[in-house]
Amino acid sequence: MKKDYNFNYVFLMYDIADEESESGKNRVSKVFKICKKYLSHHQKSVFRGEITPSKLLKLQKELEKVIDKELDFISIIKLKNKSSFLETTLGNKDNDLFL
Amino acid sequence: MKTKYIFSTGEIKRKDNSIAFKNHKGWNYIPIENVREIYFLNEVSFNSKFLDFIARAGIVLHFFNYYGYYSGSFYPKEHLVSGNLTIKQALAFEKRRLEFARNIVKVIAFNIYEVLYHYYRHDKKELKPYLEYLKKVPVYLEKAQKIEKILFVEGSIWNEFYDSFKYFLPSDFILNKRVKRPPNNPINALISFGNSLLYTKTITAIYHTHLNQTISFLHSPQEARFSLSLDLSEAFKPIIVFRTIFDLVNRKKLQVTKHFEKKLNYALLNEEGKKIFITAFEERINEKFMHKSLNRMVSFQTAIKLDGYKLIKAIINDTEFMPFLIKEKR
Repeated sequence: MKKDYNFNYVFLMYDIADEESESGKNRVSKVFKICKKYLSHHQKSVFRGEITPSKLLKLQKELEKVIDKELDFISIIKLKNKSSFLETTLGNKDNDLFL
Repeated sequence: MKTKYIFSTGEIKRKDNSIAFKNHKGWNYIPIENVREIYFLNEVSFNSKFLDFIARAGIVLHFFNYYGYYSGSFYPKEHLVSGNLTIKQALAFEKRRLEFARNIVKVIAFNIYEVLYHYYRHDKKELKPYLEYLKKVPVYLEKAQKIEKILFVEGSIWNEFYDSFKYFLPSDFILNKRVKRPPNNPINALISFGNSLLYTKTITAIYHTHLNQTISFLHSPQEARFSLSLDLSEAFKPIIVFRTIFDLVNRKKLQVTKHFEKKLNYALLNEEGKKIFITAFEERINEKFMHKSLNRMVSFQTAIKLDGYKLIKAIINDTEFMPFLIKEKR
């Protein structure tokens, strides 16, 4: 996809080296807490949700401060909006408009 | 930016700089940066620490009681205040109330016309006299030189509109008389619930402008409510609330026996009914259209806020205020 779009929906997945390094355990929960502020928890290390481009930058900045660039790996898939992909789900997950 | 509806009982609190809600299923996390308002439709407990946190993020909380009746909002400290605008808004109330009120009523008539015309085009020819009446509304408004007369015209527009329901709604949803507080039949319940949702949405929209919520033009500002919100939501009622109702009812997504409380003479939506209604309502209010003058895609939710901006512009520059016309969509 071209770069000059506004991306408003993201999938974020992280792999934190929590077994390789001593401080990894701490980083997992730090990364988790930061993601929780902006996106909704989808699967164990996957977050997703609507986000504005400026907030995405903020999120990235916050994450960069916390992670160990040598060991950890975070990937963010940016999409234009909720309807720009087709999702197939197996099993059951609650509707997140209502709680 | 999202809206959350809380239907289950539980406890909500601040956790790790985000919102955590606990119900019978366990913890749910609501991303604070991505939520604009939360609706509480059930008993939820929280403490002042949570309110403080919410206020800092500028999130508005709306509370509804057991019967789905709007009980109030938690409205964080105003972060957009402008003494200059407040003074001018008050002056505009003194000098230009009739003009603003007239335009609001004009827009109501026009938007209702568009809604009814859809059915007229689809072979409901009985609607012709109603359409003709709505076309004449601007003439009646020119004659009305007092606010009471304008309010009378508004009242009769709504009455005509309710009366026309019998031609395109199934028989168990016909409206004989509009009854509020409490509503007495399914359609009254739907209208009341829909209107209060739209009213709260408008409160949130106005919160993000510099306008004063209490100085209104069509409704009298003496009432102990955020009456400006009533004014601005008026133009959107036909296109958001009523279109949602007609859609759900005519497609049989909402049925009297299934989605209303039998005990209360079907005068109250049950939980499933509320969920169906809210889902459809959210879909419609988030629907995007090409805005003519802005030349970009805009959702109805944003259109409400834009109406606020329009009002500010009209007050400060002394220009005409014309609320949202469905025509702007095309």
